[in-house]
Amino acid sequence: MTVASQVKKTIATLKGNQATLRLYALQTREEETKSVYHEALDATGEIISDLEGRMQTLEYCEPQYKGN
Amino acid sequence: MQTWIQILMSSVSLFFLLLVAIRVMGKRNIVRITPFRFVSYIIIAVIGALMSVNMITNLALGFVALGVWVLFPIALEYLSLKSKWIHDLVNGKETVLIKHGKIMEDSLLQTRLTAEELMRELRSKNAFSLADVEFAVMEDTGDINVFMKAHKSPVSSYDLGIKVAPLAEPQTVILDGNILNEPLFSLGLNRDWLSIQLETIGVSIDNVFIGQIDSSGDLYLDLFDDAVQLPQPKVKELLYANFESSQADLTMFALETNNKAAKQMYSEDAEKLTQLMEKLKPYLLR
Repeated sequence: MTVASQVKKTIATLKGNQATLRLYALQTREEETKSVYHEALDATGEIISDLEGRMQTLEYCEPQYKGN
Repeated sequence: MQTWIQILMSSVSLFFLLLVAIRVMGKRNIVRITPFRFVSYIIIAVIGALMSVNMITNLALGFVALGVWVLFPIALEYLSLKSKWIHDLVNGKETVLIKHGKIMEDSLLQTRLTAEELMRELRSKNAFSLADVEFAVMEDTGDINVFMKAHKSPVSSYDLGIKVAPLAEPQTVILDGNILNEPLFSLGLNRDWLSIQLETIGVSIDNVFIGQIDSSGDLYLDLFDDAVQLPQPKVKELLYANFESSQADLTMFALETNNKAAKQMYSEDAEKLTQLMEKLKPYLLR
């Protein structure tokens, strides 16, 4: 696995986590729990955008691995 | 009129009348009523019984007596809701039996409680040793309630300094194979959602004895067929594990890269994720 594809895998995992968090934020009945899930969603979103920025640099540096 | 018809008629009418009267008088547990309330119940029962078997020949007089014994307790209860003074007069006050771990002998005398009886009551509250009791009080119903010394009380998450997620009560949405609409709608869900959930788990509604939705919205099922092993909801644990693996990935990237800026970003993100996991832990794992 190249570095780019490893980073891609991590992004995918984090996006999956976001989806699950969003589901629980919707279906939980406790307001406090809801707000914690929303905070977690925001924090995960920041990390994902960081990684996506890095991803672009990596793809620019190693165009031969683009899409892997 | 024949006597038996008369008795039948009065008995049936009294049956329903007393049913209504007792319902109106409140739904308090019969074990936890004050002695006077107990007496009024007995008097109502006796008057009812005497009228039912025609021992009280003048029914009007019987109803007057019955009315007094039904209405007066209700009126007194209403007044004691409004005034603390009347409440204390009617129900009496609670008596402190043990204070700061010391038995108040005067209170024992006042409540005519022997030492043996006190010890028995304490034992029934799991206080076998008098040294463990900080405070005990006899309520106006005659119940004895015990407050244990702090070091003998059960440990709570507060004592341990552990944060736990708040939990709402679970709602029962399936009972005996039938979907209960009211609790389902109160959660903002509908039958379609439930049938999708059942389909994902792979059981038919006829096979479900009880289905409950917990406060995080997960469905727990108990089936008629106990041989079937159901997958228990473990999504939250999985989510936490996924965060852990992502955090490990980020740490690895930070170690592997030679780019200074990227190293900085990776380790900051890994740190962010660690804090996030710390925050989510009570909600996802406990």
